[in-house]
Amino acid sequence: MRKIFLLFSLLLLITAPFFGEIDLPLNMLLQSTSMEHQVLFKLRLPRVLLAFFVGGILSLGGLVFQVVFRNPMSTPFTLGVASGATLFTAIAIIAGFSTLGPLFAFTGAMLTVIVLFAIAARFQSYDPTALLLVGIALSFFYAAALMVMFYLSTLQESYEIMRFTMGSLDVVGFGNIWLLGAVSALLLWLVHYYHHAFQALLTSYEFAFLQGIHVKKLSHILLLGVSVAVGVAVSMTGPIGFVGLIIPHILKTLYHTSADKLLWQSFYYGGVFLVLSDLIARNLGESNLPIGVVTSFVGAPFFIYLLLRRKHI
Amino acid sequence: MALQISNYSNGILHNVSFSVKRGENLIILGANGVGKSTLAKVLCGLLPSNAVKIDGIIPSQTYGEARAKRINYIPPKLEIFDSYLQVQEFLALSHFNKTLTIEEALAQLNITHLKTDPCQILSSGESQLVLTASALLHRANYTLFDEPTANLDPSRMKRLFTLLKHDTTLPSKLIITHNLDLAYRLGFEILYLEEGQVTFHGSSQRFFDQAHLDRRYGGSIKKINNHVVVTL
Repeated sequence: MRKIFLLFSLLLLITAPFFGEIDLPLNMLLQSTSMEHQVLFKLRLPRVLLAFFVGGILSLGGLVFQVVFRNPMSTPFTLGVASGATLFTAIAIIAGFSTLGPLFAFTGAMLTVIVLFAIAARFQSYDPTALLLVGIALSFFYAAALMVMFYLSTLQESYEIMRFTMGSLDVVGFGNIWLLGAVSALLLWLVHYYHHAFQALLTSYEFAFLQGIHVKKLSHILLLGVSVAVGVAVSMTGPIGFVGLIIPHILKTLYHTSADKLLWQSFYYGGVFLVLSDLIARNLGESNLPIGVVTSFVGAPFFIYLLLRRKHI
Repeated sequence: MALQISNYSNGILHNVSFSVKRGENLIILGANGVGKSTLAKVLCGLLPSNAVKIDGIIPSQTYGEARAKRINYIPPKLEIFDSYLQVQEFLALSHFNKTLTIEEALAQLNITHLKTDPCQILSSGESQLVLTASALLHRANYTLFDEPTANLDPSRMKRLFTLLKHDTTLPSKLIITHNLDLAYRLGFEILYLEEGQVTFHGSSQRFFDQAHLDRRYGGSIKKINNHVVVTL
């Protein structure tokens, strides 16, 4: 089963750039001046890589969040990072700086992180549940602020904001891809570096503490690392939902193994899942469906199927 | 080299002071809710306090092996978040004592068959034995056991008693228990907590003197055939 998934996913990743509205015959691709060559290397390939990296960051981020908060419902958006990015994008659009959207989005995401940790630093003791609740409160605050933005915006601006919240993998060239690749590598390095301590978090706060681990520090480092990476991803693509929630759960159901052994798989299959979703979004019907719609349409039924099929241990 | 707590008070405990030298054992007795587990959490640093010193460190302010090698606390229940974490993976997390292998520790408690089971499916008795195995693999200078026999069937209880009594690998064992017969048969020094205060700290012999037991328990505890029993 696992090998079939791996084989299928590799095949998918390799062939994904060749599927799309425009057919890409091989003989035309070999000419570097051809339109087909341009489409493949300037549009399709960056798009597949963007989907892969973003999916990977969201999925791995979800896994880490679920362990740190000891809550299977957590996603990398739970702390309000995506809501912060959305609000600031809306501000950019209304203020007439649409082109600076990603920069605003990233600022919004980081501002959220700073506010969160400034509050967390004031807690007397280590309290992940309280931090989670602060994140949720912040999300509601942002949602209300976003409503104000909608209220103040013109029809065209509203449309632009709405499109951002649906998520988009439109990309030209490799500029952002390098950045995302570097962020992904850093995130993977971070979870790999704290692997042993992360494993101790799978038990209980007390047990991890008794093994000498500084649980508060560790949790904050992991949350901060994930939040920054997710902030970068979301500022490029908008908040793409569901990936961060379901991929870790699907992998646990398939692999029957503890979360610490699913770090690389989470990243890889999160990436594959978003590439697949994007493939469907690009090739289904006449126009491109928003990616966020597809992830939920594809993911939700499969997720429920797996939950029903789950063997009780 | 000692574990020491001086004039500690919080909402539950009042002015608690005592010390245990490395190599000595202690049994902590007291009624439900007098603060035994709270005391354990203070000693191991889970509840921050500067009143505790263990072989030269303050546990709530020290991290890493410096603390882990000095003090360990074995709670009455095994709490695991992850559904698939196996017993052997759990034990590997506290494997500081490399002179003992995980297989040996499991064999010592007769639970080798649990090695690859997910921790979450264990019964309460099995998880208590797994926790005891983790204490052996951890081998801190001072190990606090909180109700180590509460969920065990008679044969496993006997096995754990033998282990606690005759084990020489753990330098100091501090055992919280309600089981007076266990406390009596172990013969370790006794600390008695009453309403958050230490009201007895002395030898097992003095505590289990019938006249002393009568004063403390109002005649409901009797020594019969070298065992301590509750008269129901």
